[in-house]
Amino acid sequence: MTETEVPNLEEAVVLQFPAGIPGFPGMRRFALQALVEDSAFQLLDSVDGDGVSMVVTRPWLFFPDYSPEIDDEDQDELRLDRPEDAILFCPVSIDRDAGNLYINLRGPLVVNARTREGRQVVLDDDLPLRAVIEVETD
Amino acid sequence: MLVLTRRTGQSIMIGNDVKVTVLEIRNDQVRIGVDAPRRVQVHREEIYEQIARENAAAIREARSTTEALRRARPRQEPPAS
Repeated sequence: MTETEVPNLEEAVVLQFPAGIPGFPGMRRFALQALVEDSAFQLLDSVDGDGVSMVVTRPWLFFPDYSPEIDDEDQDELRLDRPEDAILFCPVSIDRDAGNLYINLRGPLVVNARTREGRQVVLDDDLPLRAVIEVETD
Repeated sequence: MLVLTRRTGQSIMIGNDVKVTVLEIRNDQVRIGVDAPRRVQVHREEIYEQIARENAAAIREARSTTEALRRARPRQEPPAS
């Protein structure tokens, strides 16, 4: 799977995750929106929960060679007949003590842009759960 | 915990739509097939736990991550010298 064009997400888009997302018990609907205009980062915010959210990003901004293999079962479940319908985000976490930012390259969130359904997939290979990313600010 | 004894090729039903079948038994390994509807995601437990733990960390720190990244962008590669 390779990078595809994505909308800039200035307005929130509501996505369904029929199988849920581990760590968001019972929650199926999530709003995805850019943190700020033109941000490289988005907030995935539970619509059903009490403001439970996580920051996500496009992995290719940091790892241009990232090439996840989405298995047939996940493609079927997401009805991803056309690869260009797939949009992929990775969870971002922070270790405030160490001052590190990480993205999870092993468990990306894959969304079918046409159906607006998503699924957190688990990749078999040795991709890191925590890959350090570096950012800069003005 | 409910404990059942099954032979190779036999199954158990969980609810109306999840079927777990013993496919093969060899030494201390069991191959298991799972038929489940699409809203049910099936993972090896240890892998599920890893992903859930990372998500929980991301959720717990969502506010500070948002603050840290509000004006951030990916660091550009330093120009090659």
